Amino acid sequence: MGSPFREPVLAPPRGFRDILPTEARELRAIERALSETFASHGYVPIEPPMVEHVTPDSGPERHRSMQFLDRDGSLVALRPDITTAVARLVAQRYRDAAGALRLSYFAPVFREEPAMLGAERQHDQAGVELVGPSGPLADAEVLALLAESLARCGLRDATIEIGHVGLVRRAFAELSDDDSAPVMEALRAGDHVGAFHRAANAGMREDGLARARRALAARGPDIESVDIEGIEELREVIHLGRDLFAGEPLWGIPNLSLVPELPYYTGVVFEALHPKSGFPIATGGRYDLLLGAFGTPRRATGFAINVPRLHLALFESGWRPERERTLVALSPAGTRETAQLAASLRARGLVVAIGAVAERAGLEIIESTVVDRDRVRLADGRVMTAEDLARELT
Amino acid sequence: MTPLRFALAQGVLLADALTALRTVGLDVSRLGEDRRLLVPSGDIEYVLARPSDIATYVERGAADLGIVGKDVLMESAARVLELVDLRFGACRFVVAAPRDALERSLDEYRHLGSLEVATKYPRVAEEHFRRRGIQVEIVKVAGSAELAPQVGLADWIVDLVATGATLAANDLAVVEEIATSTARLIANPSAYQLRREEIAPLAERLASWAAGR
Repeated sequence: MGSPFREPVLAPPRGFRDILPTEARELRAIERALSETFASHGYVPIEPPMVEHVTPDSGPERHRSMQFLDRDGSLVALRPDITTAVARLVAQRYRDAAGALRLSYFAPVFREEPAMLGAERQHDQAGVELVGPSGPLADAEVLALLAESLARCGLRDATIEIGHVGLVRRAFAELSDDDSAPVMEALRAGDHVGAFHRAANAGMREDGLARARRALAARGPDIESVDIEGIEELREVIHLGRDLFAGEPLWGIPNLSLVPELPYYTGVVFEALHPKSGFPIATGGRYDLLLGAFGTPRRATGFAINVPRLHLALFESGWRPERERTLVALSPAGTRETAQLAASLRARGLVVAIGAVAERAGLEIIESTVVDRDRVRLADGRVMTAEDLARELT
Repeated sequence: MTPLRFALAQGVLLADALTALRTVGLDVSRLGEDRRLLVPSGDIEYVLARPSDIATYVERGAADLGIVGKDVLMESAARVLELVDLRFGACRFVVAAPRDALERSLDEYRHLGSLEVATKYPRVAEEHFRRRGIQVEIVKVAGSAELAPQVGLADWIVDLVATGATLAANDLAVVEEIATSTARLIANPSAYQLRREEIAPLAERLASWAAGR
């Protein structure tokens, strides 16, 4: 017979994990930097619920969402992204709003991931949505905000690659809509071989294929040699973006090979890349079709930063959060003296913990012992008053 | 600058891949010298891995480039960029059934409503039959799917064939072709952007080498 007590399961379910204090402190520093940057551009925070209904309009990430049945039998899902929730929310609450809606968020999202790939099923996403305005200035606003957000977090060496799904579609304009759909589908899947194969099979002429091939291969200055109608719009957006946030060094690389996996993008699209990350740190673009799916056709653009990837890139490039205040660990003597001394130190702006500290979370710490209600003894033997200690540490 | 990391599939594609790389001017002489799996060679660092792992390496950015069969990509569903059709290593995904039993298995389908399909490639098989609207039960095997119909494990198989000789030797006939496959040059999407100056010329040389074959 086995033990009547089952062995407790200590690890969280696959793809979920605990974020311990050292990491949590760094994530909060990133969150502060991002939230302040978003706010400084007039974006206001929203907090949609964790759970949303699953409907045919639930967005392209539906097949990857973690779904379950509600008690009334309706199918619900942990939100796989925030953009879809924002689209729903705008349709419900801001149906008749005039002008620009500037929304920001920093929140966890949930995605079903195949087992055994080390993928997490929950991660934080930070981003903005600009609903209403269209045109180069609106596109540039969101791009520049991404560049500034990454810079304000302290990320160097990131590039922002900027493409345009509409221009790519135009490169295959000589095909009928029926023929160009599978071509775009292959490009969204990253299959350039398949895309050109399908275009050729559909009867696209060799000079058209060569022009499309050149367009897709153009990155940076090569973009000047691309002859697709409307290419100057991409250049204009990048110039405007740099006017809004110059940055150092110059950010923003035109790149028509960028065709995101999600089909709802319609215009300018972009990705932030970093040499230390095999995946994009942030993705975004214009998605004018998504809100229409919720019955409120509105122009919209935005981006989402994958916070763990940003954190990883920052960490790998040597970033550490700014030093916070030193923690004074107070070994108690008499209980009343200890309580009074702790209150007096805190009143002088110090961070105080009573007793031994088990988790320092990377904070600097000063060990001290209570002498009386006004004095501590430090590890090096010095005895100081609360006032002197406060002066030394602040 | 860290060297460009290039993952090559060990096995049937390796000889052709090395020929291709050698022809476009890369030094691959140190590959296969000993049993090392990570082989630095100037600006490029080669990784030798199992075909099914190449897609994972490249998707996750552990390698920047790779040469791997389209068959492997279809089964893995990894998100990588397929840049060049290298046109070697041709093979086909097929559905095959015992030569004399096609009619019997269709009859069984009418009566029992489902067919059992043995395969090493469950994703490709499942996707194919879903598209066709045929109800099947996939039996995943680790090798020798040809054996399955003979021992009663499954009615049909989905397998990768180059010449069809193994099918014939096991009294199987092709019911239909699912897809053809050749070797592809693949890239990690981020690496393709960040290291375009190195990758693009290489991809171009390989494309014209493949076109000239």
